Amino acid sequence: MMNGSSIAIRLDGDRRTYEPGETLSGEYSLLGVGRNGVKAAEVSVLWYTEGKGDEDLTVHQFWRFDADEGTADPGRDHRFETTLPASPLSYDGMILKIRWCVRVRVFPTNGKQIVEQKDFRLGNVPPAEDAEL
Amino acid sequence: MSSEPRTIAVENPFCTRRVRPGALPFLLPDDQPLPRLVDRLRRQGWWGQIIGAHGSGKSALLASLVPAIEQAGLSVCRVELHDGQRRLPIDVRKLATRGGLSPFSRRTSFSASTTHPGRENGTVPFGRPADALVLVVDGFEQLGRLRRVRLKRFCRRRRWGLVVTTHVPLGLPELYRTAPDVALAQRLVERLQRGYNPRIDDSDVAEAYAEHREDLRETLFALYDRYEQRRRSTRGEE
Repeated sequence: MMNGSSIAIRLDGDRRTYEPGETLSGEYSLLGVGRNGVKAAEVSVLWYTEGKGDEDLTVHQFWRFDADEGTADPGRDHRFETTLPASPLSYDGMILKIRWCVRVRVFPTNGKQIVEQKDFRLGNVPPAEDAEL
Repeated sequence: MSSEPRTIAVENPFCTRRVRPGALPFLLPDDQPLPRLVDRLRRQGWWGQIIGAHGSGKSALLASLVPAIEQAGLSVCRVELHDGQRRLPIDVRKLATRGGLSPFSRRTSFSASTTHPGRENGTVPFGRPADALVLVVDGFEQLGRLRRVRLKRFCRRRRWGLVVTTHVPLGLPELYRTAPDVALAQRLVERLQRGYNPRIDDSDVAEAYAEHREDLRETLFALYDRYEQRRRSTRGEE
């Protein structure tokens, strides 16, 4: 088990907002994980919708790090970098929201997966007015 | 299983992802925990109907029940029927012969099934083998009467289990009747708002529940809007 283990995700410059076409970069690290405690880790830059209706999710970029290939070493930071697309822009609507995030999923040698995500905004679309309802 | 990503402060706890069947555990009464329900289903030869009104939690109960059936060693094929869908979206005859979906590699024992306690209803297959599939049909009443009869006969001949949800009794042994009340709705809302800024109180729940004629699904749907309105009205205070 990975009791007390966690994932820390950092975006370079501690940025929370990006413009379409900009580069998002950062790193993740595993805390409280032993040297052989990880089978694999996956990093996704993705957007998803949230709200009252059917929800959607699309992965913009995906990386997998495997212990077998020596790329999932929990003792070091793992970098990621991607160019963000033109759309969809982040949106905070009344019945629909579009959210972007970096999501890291770690598959420990024993025990349950752990997942952490870091949210960011793509673009600067203002929140919807209440009239949307 | 996995941990859920950390919630974000602006998320609405009533969004679809959190209220869809399976996202919330079905809250069974204390005297009828899930293992007891599974045991009852086993004693009924893995045949049973879950009866309840629209939005009363039938699909949520199924979402809890299916993993428990699988844990008992059976394979499950789940079919969801929506309004006006008069036939199954799969060919169960092909299901019976396709290796990939066939459950027959899974071994389990059905000691209780040899007693056939539900056979007086004429619904429990005789001599169920130790390896079997349970067909789960959510919205069984959508099928026409003839199709229902044929499907039951097919399952009986194949010695498959059959678990359905329905608004009215349809001739299978009863497994559970969903009967929500306002107290249950309030418990669900309390759970949903854990870790969130609670913007919905018991009186809001009671009002929405009454307004939506005791339909839990619609009640939670309505509370999404109410939560969102209050979240926006306090924007900047957080």
